[in-house]
Amino acid sequence: MEVILMSETYEHYEAVVVGAGPGGAATAAKLADEGIETLVLERGVDAGAKNVSGGLLYAEQSAPYTIDDLFPDIRAAATERPITEYYMQNVAGEKVKEYDLTSLHEHDTAWSDAVLRRRMDSWLAERVHERTRETGGGLLTGIHANGLLRENGEIVGVTCDEIDPIRADLIVAADGVNSELARDAGLMDWDEPEEWFQGVKATVDMPAVDDRFGIEPDEGVAHLFSGDLFEGVRGGGFLYTNTDSLSIGAVFHLDSLVEERAEPHELLNALLTHPLLARWLGEEYTEVEYAAKLVPDSKKVAHTSPHKDRLVLVGDAAGQMQAQGPIIKGMNHAVSAGALAAEAFATAKRRNNPESAGKRYERKLKESGVMKKLRPKRYERLRPIGEREKTTDVVDRLLTSPIGRVGLKAMDSIGLVERLYSSPFMSMSIPDTRTPYVTLPTVIAEELGAPVRDRSTVEPPSLEERIGELTYDTDIGNPHIRLRDSSVEASGTAVSACPVSATDFGGGCYREETITTNGDTKHVVSLDTQPCIECGTCAVVADTDWEHPGGGKGVEFTRG
Amino acid sequence: MAELDPSEYTIAELGPEIKEIEDVATLEEVLEAERNTKDREGAKTLLESRIEKFSEDDDADVGDLDLSEMSVADLGNALQDIDEMETLESLLEREAEEQNRDSATRLIESRIDSVAGSGESDIEQTQQSPEEKHPELDHPTADKGHVRALENGTYRDMWVYCETQSGALLDVSKEMLGKARRLMDEYNENYDANERVVAVVIGNDVAGLAEETIGYGADVAVYYEDDRLDRFRHTPYTEIFADMARSGGDWRDYDEPRYTLFPATNNGRDLSAQVQAELDSGLASDCSGLYIEESVISNPVKTGRPGENKTFERVLHMKRPDFSGFEYSTILCLDNPAREFHPQGASVIPGSFELPAFDGDREGQLVEHELALDPEWLQVEVIAYDRLDTGVDLSDHDVVVALGRGIGDDPTHGMELGVELADTFEDAGVGVSRGIVTGSYDFAGHIEGYTHEERQIGETGQVVAPKLYIAAGISGAIQHKVGMDESETIIAVNTDPDARIRDFSDYFIEGDLFEVLPQLTAALKAGELDLKAVADGGVGADDGGDTDE
Ligand SMILES: Cc1cc2nc3c(=O)[nH]c(=O)nc-3n(C[C@H](O)[C@H](O)[C@H](O)COP(=O)(O)OP(=O)(O)OC[C@H]3O[C@@H](n4cnc5c(N)ncnc54)[C@H](O)[C@@H]3O)c2cc1C
Ligand SMILES: Cc1cc2nc3c(=O)[nH]c(=O)nc-3n(C[C@H](O)[C@H](O)[C@H](O)COP(=O)(O)OP(=O)(O)OC[C@H]3O[C@@H](n4cnc5c(N)ncnc54)[C@H](O)[C@@H]3O)c2cc1C
Ligand code: SF4
Repeated sequence: MEVILMSETYEHYEAVVVGAGPGGAATAAKLADEGIETLVLERGVDAGAKNVSGGLLYAEQSAPYTIDDLFPDIRAAATERPITEYYMQNVAGEKVKEYDLTSLHEHDTAWSDAVLRRRMDSWLAERVHERTRETGGGLLTGIHANGLLRENGEIVGVTCDEIDPIRADLIVAADGVNSELARDAGLMDWDEPEEWFQGVKATVDMPAVDDRFGIEPDEGVAHLFSGDLFEGVRGGGFLYTNTDSLSIGAVFHLDSLVEERAEPHELLNALLTHPLLARWLGEEYTEVEYAAKLVPDSKKVAHTSPHKDRLVLVGDAAGQMQAQGPIIKGMNHAVSAGALAAEAFATAKRRNNPESAGKRYERKLKESGVMKKLRPKRYERLRPIGEREKTTDVVDRLLTSPIGRVGLKAMDSIGLVERLYSSPFMSMSIPDTRTPYVTLPTVIAEELGAPVRDRSTVEPPSLEERIGELTYDTDIGNPHIRLRDSSVEASGTAVSACPVSATDFGGGCYREETITTNGDTKHVVSLDTQPCIECGTCAVVADTDWEHPGGGKGVEFTRG
Repeated sequence: MAELDPSEYTIAELGPEIKEIEDVATLEEVLEAERNTKDREGAKTLLESRIEKFSEDDDADVGDLDLSEMSVADLGNALQDIDEMETLESLLEREAEEQNRDSATRLIESRIDSVAGSGESDIEQTQQSPEEKHPELDHPTADKGHVRALENGTYRDMWVYCETQSGALLDVSKEMLGKARRLMDEYNENYDANERVVAVVIGNDVAGLAEETIGYGADVAVYYEDDRLDRFRHTPYTEIFADMARSGGDWRDYDEPRYTLFPATNNGRDLSAQVQAELDSGLASDCSGLYIEESVISNPVKTGRPGENKTFERVLHMKRPDFSGFEYSTILCLDNPAREFHPQGASVIPGSFELPAFDGDREGQLVEHELALDPEWLQVEVIAYDRLDTGVDLSDHDVVVALGRGIGDDPTHGMELGVELADTFEDAGVGVSRGIVTGSYDFAGHIEGYTHEERQIGETGQVVAPKLYIAAGISGAIQHKVGMDESETIIAVNTDPDARIRDFSDYFIEGDLFEVLPQLTAALKAGELDLKAVADGGVGADDGGDTDE
C-alpha cells in the first residue's frame, strides 16, 4: 500500500513514459537504472495487448543499446526462436525462385529472434515495473494518455482519460505509431499515405515447427516473399517461425494500397493460400489471430529533432522504423532511442539542466549512428531518380524486355543477383517504386524460377470469422473514431484499406451505403468502431477525428 | 559511436559541422582523426577551442569520473565539487564494484554525510511574508491557502452531504450515512469521545428527507430549503454548505467539521471540490474505503523537522482505487505545522458501502439552517433540463421483431414494415442489429426512434430471450447471436440462403423482407397464421424445415 499525502498540485514524477512497447520499456528501464523516479502509462489491459509486429527482434552489433543490454534475460524468457536461416522467395504465378539471404540478415547482427508481442511486452512490463518501483515510480496499465498538459504554453505533463493529469520533468512519448502525444505537440502528422506502411498478419498454430522446417528447437527460419503475389500492390510478405506457431503477414506501402483500392485481408489470403506455403502449412490451417498496424517509414518521417520542451519522442512515435529492403527494423531502434533518451535526461539532470534533455537526445541519435540508419543519405540521393514514374517505367521495361531477361540470367549464373540482394548497401537505398517490389522479383521468378508442385488446401477464415475470434472490450457509447466527412470522396478509401472492412461487408468498421432522399441518391460511408483493431490506417486515409480508445478498452491481442 | 571524418571537410565547412557536437570525447576523436589525416593547424585550433569550451562543463559530470585512474587524494578534491546525493551514491557503488578502497569509500561517505547534513537548514522553513517570498512582484499576496485556514481550530463530527433527486435520497447518500455511523461509533469508543454523524440536506422542500437521514444513522440533520434550490447549482449550494460548516449554533461547539463526506456523483464531485477549497482544506476524490487511525509521518513538510517522526491522531484514511484499479492509494489530509487542513474530506464512489436498513425508531436532532440567499449566487439559472431515458427494455416481451441491414434499399420503409409486424402481436418489441445503429441511413422522423443504440440486440446491446424472435435482414454475426439465441423460437427472413443466421434459426424464410414482412403481417391479421402456435411448437409452418412464407 502506498501512502500519498494530499498536495495542492498535480502529481509529479521526474519522468513519465507513455507506452510500454519496446521503446517505452527500454526508456523506463534505463531511467530507473539511473535512479530516476519514473511512471509508465500503458493503455492496454496488459502491455502487449495492443501491439503487433511481424516479429524479428534484432540486436545490431553497431547499436548503442540492444534489448539484452537492458534486459539480460529476455532471450531465455520472452522470445520465440533465433532466426538462423533467411530466404527470399521471388514469386510469379506458381513459379518461385529462392535466394538465401542469410548473410544479409546476419550483417551487423549480434542475434535476431522471432517474437510475439503479447508475450514479450508483458514480460518486459513486469521487469520495468520492478525496476521503476525501486525509484518511486511504477507501471500502470489501462491508462490512456490523451494529450499533453501545458502551462504557459509549455509542455509540462500529460493528461489522461482515467486519472488526473501528471506533471513531469521528462515526458517520453513512446506511444507507437499514431502517437497522440506527438500529434498534440505538432511534431508529427498523419496526412500522407506515402509516409506509412500497413502491416497485416496472421498467427498460425503449428505445434510441429521443427518437423515442417527441418530445424532444431534452437533454430528458426524466415522467408520473405515478393513478386506478383499482391496484385500489383507494392509490398512484401513474411513468414517467421515461433516456438509453436508461425507469424505470416505482409507489409504494404499505404499509398499503393490506396491507389489499387486493395483489400489487405485478401492480399494476406493470397499469400496464405499460395501453393508455395502448402509445404509448410500442410493440411490443417488453424489461424489463432488476425492483426494489423501501421508502420512508419523512417526514410520519410523519422523526426530529425524529436523533442519539444520537456517532451521527447521515442520509437514509432518518432517515426524511427527502418525498412531496409526486406528487413524491417523498428523494435531495435525504439530500444536504442529509448535508452539514449534516458541517458540524455540523466546527464541533463546531473548538470542541473533537465530542459536540455531533448537537445542531448537529438545529438545522441546522431552521434550514435542511429539517425544515419533511419534516414540514410544514400536514399535521399537516389530517391529523386529512382522514384520518378518515367524512370520506373524505363527500368521496368528494360527488366521485362528480352535483353533485360537475358542479362538477368547471365547475372544469376554467376550468383550476382543473390549477391546484389544480399548487399545491405543496396537494400538501404531501395527506392519505393514497384521495380524492386514487383517487377524485378516477378521477372526473376519467371526467368529463373521453378514451378511449385504442391497444392494449397488452406481456407483462411472470412473477415467476419476473424473479427469474431478477436477479443474486444467495447467502450459502449464512446466511439474513439468519428467520421468528420462521410462522403465517399473523403473517406471511401477506408472501406477497402481498413483491414477489418471490405466492400460489400456489413460487419466491418467502414461500409459504403447508398441513401436515397427525395429521389436523390447519395453514396456515403458509415463507421462502426466496434470491430476496430486500432491499426491507424483510417487516421491517414479518411477524414476522421482519430484517437485510441480509453484505457483497457477496444481490441485485445493475445499474440501480437 | 559514429564519428565525423574531418578530412571530408574544408576548414570553412568544418565549423558548422561540429557546431552540434558538445561531447568532449567525440570532439577529441575528431581532433585525433584530423591529426592522423590532414593535420591542418586551422582545423585543429577550431576543434581545440571547442573542446576547451565544453571541457569545463564536462568537469562537473562526475558520472564520467574514472575512479580507477584517481588516487584517493584526487578523489577527495573532486568530491568537494559534488553535492548531488545521487551522484555521490553512484560513485560509492562504483567504488565498491571496482576497487573497493576503504579510504576512498570513507571519503565518499563523509561527503554524503556532509551533503545530507547541509540539507537540514534548508528544510527548516520559517513562514515568510508574501513580500519576502515574491520580491519580484509589485503586490504580492499571500498564497490563498493561508488566508482563511483556522489556527488552533476545534474540529468535531463527521458531516455527510446527502444528495437528493426527485424528492428522494440517493442510495449513495444512505450508504455514506451507514458508513459514517459505523466509523463514528468506533471512533467514540476508541477515543472515548462523543462525536456525531451530521447529515446535510440542501434543496427545495427537503425537511422530510433531512428527517429521513436520522433513520439511516445521522445524529443531527442540518437542512436548508428554498424553492429556488429545486435543482443543484454550484454557487448557492457551495455557499450554503460552507456557511453551515463555519457558523456556530446552539447544537454545536466547534469551529468546523472534523471530517466531510460527499458522494462522487456528478453534482457531488462538483460540490465537494469547491466546498473543500472554500474551507481551505483538500479533498480525496473518488474513494471506496475509509477508516480512522493514527498515522506516523516522517515527511518534514508535515512534521516541521527533518528526520523526526510525528504521530497524527484520528486521521481519516481515504482509500481510492489507484489508476489501474489494481492498487489502492491511501490519502491522508494532515495539518502542516503552519497551516491546518480541516475538514478532512472525501468523495465516495456510489456502491462502495452497504446500504443500511432504515430504522424509524432512531432519534436525532433536526436543525434548519438560517442564511439569506444572496441573489448574486443565483445568477446562473437552470432554464431547461431533461431526464435521460432509462432506455428501452426489450427483455420482457413475448415477441421481438429485429431488423438488420437488409432494409438498406429503403430503410424507412423497412423499419415501418417491422413495426407493423410487431403491432399485430399483443406484446412485441422492436429491436435492431448494430448494423442499423451505426449505419448512415436517413430515417424519417417517425421511425428514427426505433433505430437507436438503446434497441440494439447483441453482445454490446441487450440480451433477449423472448418466446418468438423474428430477425429480418440480419446476417447473424456472432455478436448478434449471443444477444438472441436463447429465444425459444427464431424465425429468420433473409435473401441469402447461406446467411449464417440460418444455422441457428428454427425457421428460415428465404426471401426479400420487403415482400415477406407484409405477407406475414397480413396473414397474422387475417388469423391465417398462428405464429404463437408456431412458437409453441405446434401448428403452422412445415416440419421445422425451411418454409417459403
Ligand atoms: C506487421 C508488422 C511487422 C513488423 N515487423 C517487424 C520486425 O520484424 N522487426 C522489427 O523490429 N519491427 C517490426 N515492425 C515494427 C515494430 O513493431 C515497431 O516499430 C515497434 O513496435 C515500435 O515500438 P514502439 O515501442 O515505438 O511502439 P509500440 O510497440 O507500438 O508501443 C507503443 C505502446 O504505447 C501504448 N500506447 C499508445 N498510445 C498510448 C496512449 N495514448 N496512452 C498510453 N499508452 C499508449 C501502446 O498500447 C503500446 O503498448 C513490424 C510492424 C508490423 C505492424
Ligand atoms: C465487439 C463487437 C461487438 C458487436 N456487438 C454487436 C451487437 O451487440 N449487436 C449486433 O447486432 N451486432 C454487433 N456487432 C456487429 C456484428 O458483428 C455485425 O456487424 C452486425 O450484427 C451486422 O448487422 P446486420 O446483420 O444487420 O448486417 P449485415 O451483416 O450486413 O447483414 C445484412 C443481411 O441482410 C440480408 N439482406 C439484404 N437484403 C435483404 C432483403 N431485401 N431482405 C432480406 N434480407 C436481406 C443479407 O443477406 C445479410 O445477411 C458487434 C461487432 C463487434 C466487433
Ligand atoms: S477503423 Fe481505422 S483504425 Fe480501426 S481497424 Fe479500421 S482502419 Fe484501422
